[in-house]
Amino acid sequence: MKIVLVSGNSYDVVYIATIAAGLAFIVLSVLYYTTRSRRVRVTPVYLSGEKEDVVSSVSPSVATLYWGFMKRFARALYDALIGRVHTGSLHDWYKFLSSWLSWLLLLAIVVFVLILVVG
Amino acid sequence: MGGLELVYALVSIVVFPGVLFLVALSLFTEYMVRKISARYQRRMGPSYVGPFGILQPFFDLLKLVRVKEIVVSRYGMYRAAEVMLLIGIAFIAGSVVLLPLSLYNVIGEFDLLVFFYMSSVMPLFMLILASLSMPSPYTVIGVSRLLSIITIAEPAYFASLVIPAYLATRNAHPFMSIAVAYANVPALWLNPLTALIMLLSVIAFVVSVQAKSMLQPFNIPEAEQEIIAGFETEFSGPVLGLARLLHDLDIAVTLIVGAYLLLGGPAPFRHLSIEGVLLLVIKYLALLLVIVTIRNIMGRYRIEQALVQLFKYGLVPSLVATGLALTLGPMA
Repeated sequence: MKIVLVSGNSYDVVYIATIAAGLAFIVLSVLYYTTRSRRVRVTPVYLSGEKEDVVSSVSPSVATLYWGFMKRFARALYDALIGRVHTGSLHDWYKFLSSWLSWLLLLAIVVFVLILVVG
Repeated sequence: MGGLELVYALVSIVVFPGVLFLVALSLFTEYMVRKISARYQRRMGPSYVGPFGILQPFFDLLKLVRVKEIVVSRYGMYRAAEVMLLIGIAFIAGSVVLLPLSLYNVIGEFDLLVFFYMSSVMPLFMLILASLSMPSPYTVIGVSRLLSIITIAEPAYFASLVIPAYLATRNAHPFMSIAVAYANVPALWLNPLTALIMLLSVIAFVVSVQAKSMLQPFNIPEAEQEIIAGFETEFSGPVLGLARLLHDLDIAVTLIVGAYLLLGGPAPFRHLSIEGVLLLVIKYLALLLVIVTIRNIMGRYRIEQALVQLFKYGLVPSLVATGLALTLGPMA
């Protein structure tokens, strides 16, 4: 003998199946945590049998991530930065920075004034 | 919900065909996979624990969970991994109330979609989260390969189940219900128009199951020679036991639903008849034999080869079957 519940509402199916999964989770957790091994071994092993002190840092530095991204995915921007900004000449750096920053500064001032005037 | 109904629901979720039955079935499935593979490779396979070695997978699981130690490292969150894997197993166990096999069977429109979400999407998602809870470069590579494969395998698997369900329930109520669909599947095989669609669905099903279960030739996410054990690299002891159980459960439930929706389950017999049970078991074992045979006669593809082959033999047949089902289906 079996019980067949025919539901006219699809949401009922979702609710009942979710409750069934929740109940199964409780049963499984009880079974698992009562039988699970209590022995714990703390290991310093990091990779391929070596400890983590074989690497200089455990995660890439922010600068590495930034330059990795720029070189791989923003090649045009990278070339522009290298060719026009970081040329080694302080004059090039100042020229680039002053031009763009001047425009941005002017824009910021205009917006600020507009906000003050318009409210 | 009445008292009797509650008892049936509890028995269905906890005992049959819920947690206990599913665990037993998945361990039996693992035994069959190992035994058949051993025969293909001229080995004995599991032979000593229990009659014919049938209890070997159970004792392997017990040893991993009870005897082996939990390895704690600085970057691994083993408790999170345990919870993720338990949630994955629970989703599969909870989904069985939607199967006609269940003593407490819930039927509704589109219950197949709920079943698919619970038995296929969530377990894989939880397996990936568990892997990433215990990270290493090998784990990350394994997970990325697994994600690449399931991106193609899951749609093919989904289509291979939805197509028979659509054809079988297009004039029935509730629409897209597993329990309604399986009874009409034998008729689909007898009609020449729909038999071709069913055949394409079976091909897509077999190829996609091979891929989503990470069996050869699609076992590149757990390639041991290249990436140690892929997404499983950092699993050990009880966590590894849970991960293997989840993997076995995934295969078992996938084969059950395949036996129902592609081969008709116990139809034309009733569920509770001896003939019906025997027919269901035979269909389950036949599907299992097919996937284990493919596993043993094929080598491993590289990831880019795997994706191309999966597209050719998994996704294309499912797309063709979908097109045919939509055009020829109303005429059949």
